[in-house]
Amino acid sequence: MLGIILAVEATEQSNPILPTVPELFWGALSFAALYLLVTFVLLPPVKKTMNDRADRIRADLDAADAARASAGSAAGEVHDQLADVRAEAGSVVDAARAEAEAERAQIIGAAEAEVATLRADADAEIQAARTEALAGVRPQVAELAANAAGRVIGRDLDVTTTQSVVDRFLDSPN
Amino acid sequence: MFAALEFPPIDNLVKWPAYFGEGQFYEFNKIALISLLAVIIPTILFLMAKRDLVPSGVQNLVEGTVEFVEKQVILSAIGPQGLKYTPLLLSIFLFVFFGNIFEVIPTFHMPANARMANPVVLAVVAWVTFIGVGIKSQGFGGFMKSSLFPPGVPKALMPLVSLIEFISTFLLRPFGLAVRLFANMLAGHILLVTFGVLCITLWQVGPLAAILPFSFAMLVGLTGFEVMVSLIQAFVFSLLTAVYISLSMSAHH
Repeated sequence: MLGIILAVEATEQSNPILPTVPELFWGALSFAALYLLVTFVLLPPVKKTMNDRADRIRADLDAADAARASAGSAAGEVHDQLADVRAEAGSVVDAARAEAEAERAQIIGAAEAEVATLRADADAEIQAARTEALAGVRPQVAELAANAAGRVIGRDLDVTTTQSVVDRFLDSPN
Repeated sequence: MFAALEFPPIDNLVKWPAYFGEGQFYEFNKIALISLLAVIIPTILFLMAKRDLVPSGVQNLVEGTVEFVEKQVILSAIGPQGLKYTPLLLSIFLFVFFGNIFEVIPTFHMPANARMANPVVLAVVAWVTFIGVGIKSQGFGGFMKSSLFPPGVPKALMPLVSLIEFISTFLLRPFGLAVRLFANMLAGHILLVTFGVLCITLWQVGPLAAILPFSFAMLVGLTGFEVMVSLIQAFVFSLLTAVYISLSMSAHH
């Protein structure tokens, strides 16, 4: 079992530190072979793959930047169009509001005029009715007033005379 | 009871018999096999990786490794101008890591970098690279001037400082790279072997099996620790190489 980890017994005493010529030979040969292989065979395709990937990533990043810039300008255009539409909508709404206001004022004015006319007509009718009513009660008032005054003074009074006094009284403002 | 605990000599831990070519310069042993596997395994992994736009599985592992070396090693130590050194630094990272990780792979139980050969090879590569980069970037005179004659040093002290700078830059840098990797991996290997021998011996002795769970837990814990050390040493070696390259690229540091 020890043979796995130990070299076969050395046949001659020698310096364990100093390198031997065969080991130098194989070491130099091996390293030279590895260096040539790495330089001309092994590394170039690996580097090419890595560079291609880096180029691809760089190109993708550039494309993403361009797409982002394009999307930004498109968003700007949409924003501008939206602002125009909003401004136009505002002006339409303002015009409609002004038109509605004018129509409302016109309708209200017409209604007020109609109300005033109706009120004037009603006042005239009331005044006519009142006048008519007063004209109707004047003879009875004059007769009653003449009877009452005749009883007070003890003689009969002329109704015609009394009528003119009653008319003056009723026509006076107080 | 403790007589059974005989720790093997150090040569038994690091010297491996030849599979073929014994005594020749191409003698092939376990260290050579691990060195070859440190080439074959990353090669297979890289070839297995798909080329999908959305990575998954082995592709993730491979691309993650490349990206780790690029970002954590090259960009942090040198900067974007250092990306041209990706093949070299990636090779160093992979070679060190796969050379280390065999320490915890059953039937191998040996990091290739616990022998001095591979760290020396890699240190020489780093040494040649940062000197070459320095000469290419600043010219031979300029590189020597910036390396050996730091600005602001009094003229009387310049010979001494230049000598120190020469030793530091041209000798200690590669020596430190190699010894750091080698010593860390050898220490980890000895630790694992120590607890492995302890577990096996206690298992055979029997009466001492009561404390076997503790030694076994240490063995498991140290195995996990050595996985982490394997990765860290690969990172440190490639990072220091990148730092030395970066220092060579600039005139004054």
